[in-house]
Amino acid sequence: MSNTKSLLTIQDLHASVEEKKIIKGLNLDVKAGEVHAIMGPNGAGKSTLGYVLSGRDGYSVESGSATLDGKDLLEMETEERARAGLFLAFQYPVEIPGVSNLEFLKASVDAQREARGEDAITSAEFLKEAKAACKQVNLPVSFLKRGVNEGFSGGEKKRNELMQMLLLKPKLCILDETDSGLDIDALQVVAEGVNSQRSADRSFIVVTHYQRLLDYIKPDFVHVLSDGKIVKSGDASLALELEAQGYAWLQKEPAEDELEG
Amino acid sequence: MSEWLDSAIARAQGIDDWLAPKRAHALDLLAKTSWPTRKTEAWRYTPLRPVERSTAKAITDTVTLLPTAIADFSAIELVFANGRFDASQLESNLPEGLSVSLGRDLTEAEQSAALGVFSTIKPERHIFGLVNDALAEDVLVVSVAEGVQIDQPIRISSLLSEGAESHTRVQVNLAAGSSLTVIEDVQSHGDSLLTAFVEYQVAANAILEHYRFALQTGNNIAIGGSHFNLLDHAKMHSTIVGFGSDLSRLDTDIIHAGKYADAKLNAMYLLDGKELFDLHATVEHASPNGTTEENVRCIVADRARAVFNGRIHIHPDAQKTLAELNNRNLLLSDKAEINTKPELEIYADDVKCAHGATVAQIDKQALYYLQTRGVSRARAQVMLNFGFINELIDLMPNAALAEWVRPMIRERFLQMEVN
Repeated sequence: MSNTKSLLTIQDLHASVEEKKIIKGLNLDVKAGEVHAIMGPNGAGKSTLGYVLSGRDGYSVESGSATLDGKDLLEMETEERARAGLFLAFQYPVEIPGVSNLEFLKASVDAQREARGEDAITSAEFLKEAKAACKQVNLPVSFLKRGVNEGFSGGEKKRNELMQMLLLKPKLCILDETDSGLDIDALQVVAEGVNSQRSADRSFIVVTHYQRLLDYIKPDFVHVLSDGKIVKSGDASLALELEAQGYAWLQKEPAEDELEG
Repeated sequence: MSEWLDSAIARAQGIDDWLAPKRAHALDLLAKTSWPTRKTEAWRYTPLRPVERSTAKAITDTVTLLPTAIADFSAIELVFANGRFDASQLESNLPEGLSVSLGRDLTEAEQSAALGVFSTIKPERHIFGLVNDALAEDVLVVSVAEGVQIDQPIRISSLLSEGAESHTRVQVNLAAGSSLTVIEDVQSHGDSLLTAFVEYQVAANAILEHYRFALQTGNNIAIGGSHFNLLDHAKMHSTIVGFGSDLSRLDTDIIHAGKYADAKLNAMYLLDGKELFDLHATVEHASPNGTTEENVRCIVADRARAVFNGRIHIHPDAQKTLAELNNRNLLLSDKAEINTKPELEIYADDVKCAHGATVAQIDKQALYYLQTRGVSRARAQVMLNFGFINELIDLMPNAALAEWVRPMIRERFLQMEVN
């Protein structure tokens, strides 16, 4: 894999939320086709990383860089980052009553097609794709007509996120605690969906507090994020070690050098 | 005093018909009413200059005007052309249990019953309601017999030629246990002036589904009211859709006269240019165990002005009332104006009552969420802000009407500029 080019490169990233420093010198290199897990205790900055990379209002980058496919992510608007191939699956997907799921999904797909210079997809063609995606994530087709995430259970929201990923076909997917609030069956559906999307040109960053998800989505690398930086990197076995020992032993150690991609 | 009102009073004085005592009473009250100004609370944000300057005149020639066609929708058509009921457009075979008749054609006993309702549901404080009492050519009386469910909707269309002044008046009586759907619509062609008032008597256990569309724009003046009296266990569901005009004013009054009555009122208005739309909605909870749910949502662009006054009055006997009033507004321009005033007056101690009004709140989380999927900020704003209107369209019980009005509203919204 070392010959493959980098898809995401983050260098010495410092970022804050409401003037509070959360990310404090983070380095990460994700090559095409790789799956990276980021684990860490609560408050380490795991979710913040996704928000910073997607350009959420209120999350400001103080220094450092982040590039996707060689393009400067931090200079782009949120929607431009999405069109460049970044996808963030939310821990708490937002409910939008009054906007139907189908309308939302089609607007997303069309926006990205437009950015690639393609025509909007026809409604009939899109409906076919959306129904297939529903089936794949095990959501009733009636969910397409409902308001975005409106009244969905936790598991349904996560599957809806996954459905968006299937339809948008991003280059880099950040899954932010996708396992939280899921029972084992729902977890398997989500993991199968993610695994079906693994390919040589698509990468994943799986952010999770627990090792359990990684039984189903096998990572190539595991990183421990603590106090805003990566303090340890390893292969999948690191996750098991963390499961057994917790995070406390790592937080006392001095920061190590980051992964070798 | 205004010249317009003087002229209206003068014209009314010559009329002598079965409504004479009611007309005389209205004229008495008008003589004691001063012409509203900016200091008149009910008209504070709605200046009457367009009425004062109006050149609209009553048109006595008979003209044929046709109501708007709506896809997948067929109604029993009650058409007023320039204020005159056009009986030729009424189908001859009405469903059993439904009667439609001008007051002058009723029997004396029926007239006396109609007089017993006339102007008892519509409060006397509405000055243009009094003008309508005095000037309406007649009253169209619609009645549904006890226990009868009328499946086909009734549409009352007030249609106006260019330059026409007209006054239409309808009374709808739902006997106990009956049900009916009524659509009130207005179509006008410029420089027109209309007053249109409908009173609804909804007897015990009766169910009324109601719509009022005020989609005429431009230099038209439309002032009117829909007034409802609900007896025990009566139910009503009303939807109001308004685009503004030089002057559009609607007064609704919902009276919970009986216990366990249930009222839902959803109103949406979208205003552009220099349009004005003023909705005064009053709910009187006079009996116990009533429920009211009222949603009013409004988008205002350019230099348009929206007025909403939502009053809920819970009388001392109206224990166990549940009433909710929610008003959400979105301003798209610095020069647009929204005047909203929820008023709760509660004189019973065992009630649940809530109200809220918000202006121009865009859900930033939702905006961000849409953007993370590649949707531009501008498009996301449209999607989100149409959503709060769309929710109310989704609540319209009649799907054909919802799908007729939805693209019109959406089109209007897409043409509005954000500045």
